[in-house]
Amino acid sequence: MKIKLPKIRSLKIRLPQFTLWTGWILGLAIFLTAGATAGVMVLWKGLSLTNLTDLVPWGLWITIDLSSIAISAGAFSLCAVVYLLGLKRFEPVARTATFIGLIGYTMAVLTLLLDIGRPDRFWHSMIYWNEHSLLWEVTMCVTLYLGVLILEALPIFARFEWLRSHLPKLAEKMSQAHRLAPYLAIAGLVLSMLHQSSLGALYGVLKARPLWYRPDISVLFIISAIAAGMALTVLASMVSARLTKNANVDNNLLDRVAYIIGWVLVVYLYFRFWDALAMTYTYEPGRTEGLQLLTGGVLSFNFWIGEILLGAVVPILLLLNKKTRSLPLWRMLAMILVVGGVVAYRWDTNLSGLLIYLSYLPGEPAMAYAAYHPSLIEFLAGGGIVSYGLLAFSLGVRYLKVVDHNVVKVHEVEAKVIEAIPVPGD
Amino acid sequence: MSNKINRRDFIKLTVAGVAVLAVPQIIRQAQALDTLTPNGRQWAMVIDQSKCTGCGYCTLACRAHNDIPPEISWNVVTKTGTVGAQDVYIARPCMQCAHAPCVDVCPVKASTYRPDGIVQMDYDRCIGCRYCEIACPYGARSFNWKQFDGPNPSVPQWGQPEVARRPRGVVEKCSFCYQRIDRGLALGFKPGIDEDATPACVVACPVGARQFGDLNDPESNVSKLLKGRTSYRLREDLGTLPHVYYLPATEEAHS
Repeated sequence: MKIKLPKIRSLKIRLPQFTLWTGWILGLAIFLTAGATAGVMVLWKGLSLTNLTDLVPWGLWITIDLSSIAISAGAFSLCAVVYLLGLKRFEPVARTATFIGLIGYTMAVLTLLLDIGRPDRFWHSMIYWNEHSLLWEVTMCVTLYLGVLILEALPIFARFEWLRSHLPKLAEKMSQAHRLAPYLAIAGLVLSMLHQSSLGALYGVLKARPLWYRPDISVLFIISAIAAGMALTVLASMVSARLTKNANVDNNLLDRVAYIIGWVLVVYLYFRFWDALAMTYTYEPGRTEGLQLLTGGVLSFNFWIGEILLGAVVPILLLLNKKTRSLPLWRMLAMILVVGGVVAYRWDTNLSGLLIYLSYLPGEPAMAYAAYHPSLIEFLAGGGIVSYGLLAFSLGVRYLKVVDHNVVKVHEVEAKVIEAIPVPGD
Repeated sequence: MSNKINRRDFIKLTVAGVAVLAVPQIIRQAQALDTLTPNGRQWAMVIDQSKCTGCGYCTLACRAHNDIPPEISWNVVTKTGTVGAQDVYIARPCMQCAHAPCVDVCPVKASTYRPDGIVQMDYDRCIGCRYCEIACPYGARSFNWKQFDGPNPSVPQWGQPEVARRPRGVVEKCSFCYQRIDRGLALGFKPGIDEDATPACVVACPVGARQFGDLNDPESNVSKLLKGRTSYRLREDLGTLPHVYYLPATEEAHS
């Protein structure tokens, strides 16, 4: 019997050409693999691999969770601008924001699955309702809103080349989901207003934690989320447009959004100022010490530099000044600062309430301090989740053209809707 | 479809959403008021600080009875100071609050009020989010960070725990040993009087510093103690209405 040997030449491995794209994907793949390994280890060995304790039970992952929800807020705010205020010209930006929102919410769900002790019971909140719990309300809203985001993103996925050539009918059906856009925008607005602020209220209702026990966190959370969500959308669009031909942006449009972000930040800083100042009026056990942690303790660098100076003051100056705002590099820097500032705010909010705790002993309320530094496993898993987000967005830019401001072809249905809406300022 | 309808829809949706959230809330509030004045039993614990010597037998009995892992304690005894020449201790079980923050915040109703006032944990329902741990002002809740395997060093050779070991990934806390109360009542015993119907820590206390009984029964030992002596509860300012009362250690009480 004669065995046919394959030709040696065909065995020659052809390395793909090393480009920025392959390098980027390779880098993300390394982080993803490390993150997935860490995630599997946590699911297998349990949360004892983290540095979380009974005193600080929420840490890095909760920050990632809160931040990814916050940076997704561009989706609901820009969809509301387009479909409810009728500012049709922002539609391409809203598309990008919707896609980022979908990624952000899946990131949050992934993080939560790791962070809860019994991921196998994640569905319990759907079955066993505790209407009094803000965490229940947040879970329900996040789940429902994830559904809204999927419906909103259907027309985006319909642009996938492979789908259009192989399953044209399905692609057509998917792009028809665009008809629902105004209704989805309303649902998205209601659900997002509810749970973005409830994430803050979740801390605010805890009487046992005097620093958190105040009404303002919910308001601050939603305002900062709107700024961060739109900022990430602008940043991601601009970076993509610089790096790849698959993305192209309308500079004037992004300039407008950047200007809005500047004013949102002013509102945020105004509320933040009074919120912080009101806490200094009187000595309140636990609260005063918590504020001191922020203004002069372990979190003071984060607070003054990360949150206030770089996270709010500098971007306000950069964005409300026409000169710096119109320069792409300055604008991008401002966007990075806004996103970083909001992540720092979430981290500080969570930790400032946990690091200090009041003793239950009778007499003078005694204060005690806890410590928390995330473990390597927490960093790796967190890094994996962030790289998943970056990978998903990169694939979206390349294959779904999520950053494409040249889309002029607006759906007929939508065109009718928008014609019927008087556009303010036009 | 015009903008007007959109706006009206929006308002309708908002009103409907608020109603959906508010109605069960109002009903629940009404039910919560009911739990404050139940017709049945209301279990309570009275801890006499003038008697407590800080020996820690209560904690040991609790560990052995409830099969508690070494890193966790449902009942913590702390030295708080001195009165005269005597050291004063405070033992902290779960306060079994009538307005328990943990019950309010649990997203899956794994923490609930029993009709007799005990705050009950459903370990099969808990998802391990640890929100209750953060909400509890008394630090009475502990998370199972790892699986507890092997023999429990606190369990003596001559007995065995009466409660199933909790799995990894859920929050656990003191239960006032309601399995002893329920079983004891079924057998016709009186909790607080008969040892077999009384929480393990109360039974184990060698100096009788812990008393247990029904607050709704004016003849119970706890009702009588609270009527006769000055008592206080922990962090009463928070309005949690604990069902654990303390009789303070005073100069006269010692003499």
